[in-house]
Amino acid sequence: MEKRRAVVTGIGVVSPLGNSVEELYRGVADNRSGIRAMTEWRGEFGRDLAGAPVVLDPAAVKKISRKVRRTMGNAALFAGLAAQEAVEQSGLDPALFTSGRVGCVIGSTVGSASSMTEACVADYEGRRNDLSACHFFRLMSHSSSFNVADMFGINGPQLATNSACASGLQALGTALELIQLGKVDAVLAGGSDESTPLVAASFQLLYALAEEESPEPDKLSRPFDADRTGLVCGEGAGVLVVEELEHAKRRGAPILFEIAGYATNCSGWHVSHSDELQIANCMKAALADAGIAPEKVDYVSAHATGTRVGDAAEAAAIRAVFGGETPVSSLKGHLGHTLGASGALELAAVAGMMRDGVVLPTRNLERVEDCAGILLPREVREGKLRVCIKNSIAFGGVNTALVCRSID
Amino acid sequence: MDRNEIVKAVNSIFVERFELEESELTPEKNIIEDLQLDSLDLVDMIVGLQQKFGIMLRDNPEIRNVRTLNDVYDLFEKLAKEHPEIAEKIR
Repeated sequence: MEKRRAVVTGIGVVSPLGNSVEELYRGVADNRSGIRAMTEWRGEFGRDLAGAPVVLDPAAVKKISRKVRRTMGNAALFAGLAAQEAVEQSGLDPALFTSGRVGCVIGSTVGSASSMTEACVADYEGRRNDLSACHFFRLMSHSSSFNVADMFGINGPQLATNSACASGLQALGTALELIQLGKVDAVLAGGSDESTPLVAASFQLLYALAEEESPEPDKLSRPFDADRTGLVCGEGAGVLVVEELEHAKRRGAPILFEIAGYATNCSGWHVSHSDELQIANCMKAALADAGIAPEKVDYVSAHATGTRVGDAAEAAAIRAVFGGETPVSSLKGHLGHTLGASGALELAAVAGMMRDGVVLPTRNLERVEDCAGILLPREVREGKLRVCIKNSIAFGGVNTALVCRSID
Repeated sequence: MDRNEIVKAVNSIFVERFELEESELTPEKNIIEDLQLDSLDLVDMIVGLQQKFGIMLRDNPEIRNVRTLNDVYDLFEKLAKEHPEIAEKIR
């Protein structure tokens, strides 16, 4: 039986470079950074760490009805606002949401990191009775997913692919599979996460954070660069409308690209150490799922967060699968690491690259050393992008790859 | 503590927590049917009243019997007489 095909008909983001796909893409295309000194964290760390925070527009937040908003932490708010933009672009008929044929799959590392901290502080200070009845709903692991489902009245399957930094990309892969299986005709899918001092400290503890104080904090996130010292924590959400191809065609929806293949695996041996063999196997499996040979891939959107070990392992895996001729870049220099949002959020920029026929280079990449042997453009590179692959790699040894193909 | 102070303190919770307009908050309003509070909101109303008046209400059966805003005002008028320290708390 031939597999049903899935296409993306809408994208929305809340990002460190702005809260729309256009602002995000323009920022990356102009080589700007959403990273700044986190002066508000000075009390926590004794110095100004770099971070890539989101700035929400209170008026936009207020437009979400109180009864949905009351159970949203920031991660779910990010997801809700991103979903609004995606649905608007897609033009999905609101009546479909209540048909049982639309799903919602959004993952996060933590339902709401700030709400988790608030609950712990209240508990420690003996103020449990001060917590809102809604508080637990804000920090539950599937908070973004069920809140977005509630926002739109979606009554099909609701899932949360909570696999830390692979959450968003796993959500998109799950959306593809739900559509292939014929269980739904469309899915709001993506990832969201918040950055808090506790989140940054979790990476700091593992020596994975770029934790030096710098007069140029936007230079600290340096994927693939010889002088990289770790990641910079970001936050945000990316939500895509993934829709069955014929369904999208029938209603004349904008078709941005096809999700042609997907794979996820795990190393099975270490929760934090990247495994280049399994990263390579994951990319190969995603390409096999799409029925596309590695040499047909025009661009690799890497996970590369700027950590010493992670970037080198991913570069080695990319080298093993694609050799040194396929352009590769990471967007973490522009956006920091937006954690569970990153896969879906960065796909918004990849979609822009496919539309414009450009590969946007890695920000802050000046000197390649241990990540050599793959093609890492330093300038904008023009050329048609028919097939792109997006990687996400997460704690837990999780690897995920999504193959995107243009529809002419 | 007079009734006006109680009305003002109770209403502030409905304005801040449930984003209602002060003008909507007339004594006869049914909290569920007119003000559209649901079960989660009712818990948060109790949490808000506890914080505002500095008195535990969760296990007080009378809070479960309130139907209108006027019922809430009446309950706190009674509680203020039994617990004069409430007046200090909201001031």
